[in-house]
Amino acid sequence: MPQIPLNLYVGLSAALFVVGAVGFLLRRNPITMLMAIELMWNAANLAFAAFARNFIDMSGQIFVFLVITVAAAEAAIALAIVVMVFRHRVNADVDDISVMRG
Amino acid sequence: MIALFWVCALVILASGLWVISSRQPVHSVIGLIVNFAALAVLFLTLSADFLAMMQIIIYAGAILVLFLFVIALLSVGDQPVEIGAGRLRFQAVPSIVAGLAALLAMGAGVRLASWSQSASGMTPGFGSVATFGTELLTTHVFAFEVTALILLIAIVGVIMMAGRKEVRF
Amino acid sequence: MALAPLILFLPLLGAVVIALFGQFLQRTTCAIIGNISILLPFMLTTGLAIAVFRLPPEQQAVYAHPHAIGYWAHMPPLLTIPFRLLLDPLALLWMLIITGVGFLIHLYSVGYMAPERNYRQFFSYMNLFVFTMLLLVMTDNFLLLLIGWAGVGLASYLLIGFHYRRPAAVLAARKALIMNVIGDVGIMIAIFVMYVHYGSVSYEDVFGNVGAVSRSTLTWIGIWLLLGAVAKSAQLPLHTWLPDAMEGPTPVSALIHAATMVTAGVYLIARAHPIYDNAPLAAEIVAVVGGATALFAATIGCVQYDIKRVLAYSTMSQIGYMILAVGVGAYAAGAFHFMTHAFFKALLFLSAGIVIHALSGEQDIRKMGGLAVRLPFAYWTFLIGTVAIAGIFPFSGFFSKDAVLEQVLAHRHVWLYWFAVAAAGLTAFYMFRLLFLTFFSGAYRGEQKVHTHTDSTMTVPVGILAVLSVVGGWLVLPNHDELSIALRSSFVGTPYPQSMAEFNGSLSLEVLVIAAGGIALAWLAYQIAPKITLSANAALAPIHKFVYNAYYVDVLYHWLFEWPVYALAGACARFFEPVAIGALPRLATGIATRFARLSTSWENGYLRRYGLTFVAAAALLLILYLYLVRGAFAGAVQ
Repeated sequence: MPQIPLNLYVGLSAALFVVGAVGFLLRRNPITMLMAIELMWNAANLAFAAFARNFIDMSGQIFVFLVITVAAAEAAIALAIVVMVFRHRVNADVDDISVMRG
Repeated sequence: MIALFWVCALVILASGLWVISSRQPVHSVIGLIVNFAALAVLFLTLSADFLAMMQIIIYAGAILVLFLFVIALLSVGDQPVEIGAGRLRFQAVPSIVAGLAALLAMGAGVRLASWSQSASGMTPGFGSVATFGTELLTTHVFAFEVTALILLIAIVGVIMMAGRKEVRF
Repeated sequence: MALAPLILFLPLLGAVVIALFGQFLQRTTCAIIGNISILLPFMLTTGLAIAVFRLPPEQQAVYAHPHAIGYWAHMPPLLTIPFRLLLDPLALLWMLIITGVGFLIHLYSVGYMAPERNYRQFFSYMNLFVFTMLLLVMTDNFLLLLIGWAGVGLASYLLIGFHYRRPAAVLAARKALIMNVIGDVGIMIAIFVMYVHYGSVSYEDVFGNVGAVSRSTLTWIGIWLLLGAVAKSAQLPLHTWLPDAMEGPTPVSALIHAATMVTAGVYLIARAHPIYDNAPLAAEIVAVVGGATALFAATIGCVQYDIKRVLAYSTMSQIGYMILAVGVGAYAAGAFHFMTHAFFKALLFLSAGIVIHALSGEQDIRKMGGLAVRLPFAYWTFLIGTVAIAGIFPFSGFFSKDAVLEQVLAHRHVWLYWFAVAAAGLTAFYMFRLLFLTFFSGAYRGEQKVHTHTDSTMTVPVGILAVLSVVGGWLVLPNHDELSIALRSSFVGTPYPQSMAEFNGSLSLEVLVIAAGGIALAWLAYQIAPKITLSANAALAPIHKFVYNAYYVDVLYHWLFEWPVYALAGACARFFEPVAIGALPRLATGIATRFARLSTSWENGYLRRYGLTFVAAAALLLILYLYLVRGAFAGAVQ
């Protein structure tokens, strides 16, 4: 079967990444922000996998695997922090947490 | 084949937009699941069979479940979580502008770049479990071990933080 | 001869000692120091003068070189000015008057200034004045003359503003200083021109090589020097400071603004006579200025009501005479009139001072009258001074005015002659008007009690001056002109005859008649029929007002010079500075503050803002990267 051009995959990856980035910047709910971060991870994964297929190199796929693992660890820790911070608040609004200013 | 790609691409982007724009976090999780599923299909088109499975099992299966638990932990009643206007001025428009700028830059790079293809054709078993395992545990064993360590640290950290006595911010 | 520098430096020593140590000394001690430091120089000057006049004329240009100082400027070959004193007859005449009359006035001040709070300071300033005036007349080059010139301006400023708590006095002092400085600039420019053309500013070099320079240059030098003389001697058009200078204490008016400082202009022109001899246009201008001022000031003096102001305008008029004299080349006559004028003007001021003192400060003659019987000493001395200034034979004024008028006519300046004669008539008129209104014209009109006692420190100097006002003119008698003989070595080389021995009988008679007419008119107007005079004044009120306000020259100067400066300053302060100049720093601080606020607002603790920073930076870096590697996109599909 004819290969799907690499450009398309990378372009999709870029679009997905930007969606995740803008979502991170525009939302105030911490959990939604974390989900936007997940989108960004996935965009990177897609790019890695596409390049792996293009250069017939397994390293790309290995890297995806490692990314998934680290993303999992990060999600766990981030969610723990979110729980700790917002446990006793009425609203989960990230703009309330502006103590570290200056 | 291309049609499959475009369908998946559409689903990915649409669900991504839904993730970031829905008011309820649970809806965002649903969107994320759909996103991951479509992404898994794309991995399959990239001869990354193992990765597709991993995507579904770990990402959609474990991480998103974690998200759901935390949402359940934090949600109080039916109130929308983001009430009132944001306190940050000049955030929305610059964000979108920056995002679009980045997108255009990357898009231009993608359009104008020409990547060389590999000379040899696809090796048989590319992306299969066996090939993947061999690569992982021989060429990249160091990264494998470090990742294990990272997971350990994450576990310890989470237990420490979540098990702590109440901390008021 | 070796003691000559002492003449110059003793007053300076006196001034410094009183200034530094006066607060530790008694008032009387300071007064004694102040007087001794003028008396000693006077005695030394007398001795010096006797010695010099004994010498044959060729040797009368005596130089004294105080080796202690050596050089004033020593930059060969650019400029070398040794600190040297020239003690020729002209200088000696001025020195005698400065120290002699100066001493008498210092003595007078001991009693007159007694009620003052800063009594000691007064003597310090007066000594400073004498020092700078002596410096002016004793040096042998124009630069040191200028230093003395500026110094007397300073002393004048300090002394006019002696009552520094009075705003009128302070303003008058400032006005005097500013106008004097205008004159200083004139002399400076003359010095520059001299230096350019002669390479030196000493009298020897400039006057010795007078022919080496073009006539137009000499004319310019003469005109710039005249500017200085006009300012210092209060001639038109820089005269407005002198009437206001009467705010100073009476001894100051006597010494500085009558006898000595204001004659510095006359000295300058007489000293620079080689220049004026060779630049007839400049000399003509000098004469016109002098003659015009003489008449102008005399008219104003007729309508003033303040004793000291009348005397101030009278001084202006008499200096006009002197300037006129030196303008037509009658240098000796000008010096002669300077001498007699110093005597009778100082006399007039000091005896007026006795009157003012007796009336506890009253100076308005409308509030006086009938004082002849109550203040007889003041009356008789004032009378002597008035007769002298009116030019009545055989008082000193007669001889000196005659000498001036004769020479003016002899040099065929007919218009100026008639100006001067008219001024003489008016002088007689207004001085006797002053006398009558002050000492006669019915009963005493004032409210103050008349204190009749006067210190001997005040009466003795006045008496001496009265005697001098009578006999001072007898130095120049027909066929016995001692003065121009004494001075002739100073005026070598001038084409104009300096001798005043010629006696023009008809001219003298003419002038006497006119003077007598003036006196008679005053007697009629103020003694016989004062009421007619009053109604005449009322009828001519607009003219009267015009002349009384000195032809509104002050007002003209105010609108022409002061107002634009004040307006500009006000505009600058109100608009230019806050808007234009203030705007620039404000702009800078505004930018800095806004930028700072913007920068600090970026780190506000909001997570999303930090995220935006990341994304925006990433976008920029991407674009930058693409731009940098744009060459690698060869053959790209667009």
